[in-house]
Amino acid sequence: MSELFAGVLFAFVLAAAVATAAFRDTLTVIVVFAAYSLGMALFYAFLLAPDVAMTEAAIGAGVTTLLLLLTLAKTVREDTDQLLESVNVPAVLVFGGLLVVMVASLGEFPAVGADDAMAWYNPEVTQHYIANAYDDTGVENAVTAVLAGYRGFDTFGEAVVVFSAGIATLIVLNKEVFTRE
Amino acid sequence: MRLDADSDSYTESQIIMTTVRIVAPFALTYGLFLTFHGADTPGGSFQGGAIIGSTVLMIAFAFGIEPTRDWLANRTVVALAAGGTAVFTIVGLIPMLYGDSFLAHPFFEEQWGIDTKWGLEAIEIGGVAPIVAGVVMGLFFVIAAGAVAEEVSMDD
Repeated sequence: MSELFAGVLFAFVLAAAVATAAFRDTLTVIVVFAAYSLGMALFYAFLLAPDVAMTEAAIGAGVTTLLLLLTLAKTVREDTDQLLESVNVPAVLVFGGLLVVMVASLGEFPAVGADDAMAWYNPEVTQHYIANAYDDTGVENAVTAVLAGYRGFDTFGEAVVVFSAGIATLIVLNKEVFTRE
Repeated sequence: MRLDADSDSYTESQIIMTTVRIVAPFALTYGLFLTFHGADTPGGSFQGGAIIGSTVLMIAFAFGIEPTRDWLANRTVVALAAGGTAVFTIVGLIPMLYGDSFLAHPFFEEQWGIDTKWGLEAIEIGGVAPIVAGVVMGLFFVIAAGAVAEEVSMDD
């Protein structure tokens, strides 16, 4: 059952990715790209990474799509009768080569959940967090314990990067306020 | 002075307005739930803040960017983004004042008997969530308004 689900999801994500690259009309591409993000969010949830799935759904499918639509409304949308983008041969060759390398390396990956998976290469570290997160920090979600507790300094850096992105946009657009005084 | 002439790109739609009117309270509640409950269940303040921010974006898409921009004061956006960064920094610096490390949450328990957990909650709820929510809203409205080169030259 779950294998069928994963297969259908994989086909959907792949189709959405190809459609994003192939369609000519920008508005169509943005909508298909949002569908791709939503498919990826389901994939992360299926792979038992709900935190990543929520981020992908909120930022990837939600906010990014809105910002792209907004940019489209602010700029010119090319009117076209062509359904598909014309094929750029050098780009296809480069991407094809990359695809061959990536598919060839797939066989080297351990199966999801396998004992020799990367996550278990360093069992002392992973097991330490799983065993001690609650006693050390008092929160039940080990992801939060790592993000806000053990690796709080990294999260501080990320928070400042997000804040700086807002300020940088103000500077680039030569404005002093986000909305109105 | 309003130089952006794109307000005509807004089309009123009964379907979108009704949908957003029904969905927005639930989306906002879910965002708040993820933020305040992120310590014990999947999710967290980054996701929660993003959903809180996108609720405002949703309202702007349904009811028009211009009226929403008038409703959402710049003060609110700045208070969220800058206030969140300040809270995160201050919570991190307090242990340093007493000779401990930056963001050393166990310090609060040793010094004042405040559970370590509240240090994590403070930077998640008071720091990350407001920053993400504020910046998501701010980015949207500042891009919607576009560059204002003309306005600057007029001020000179």
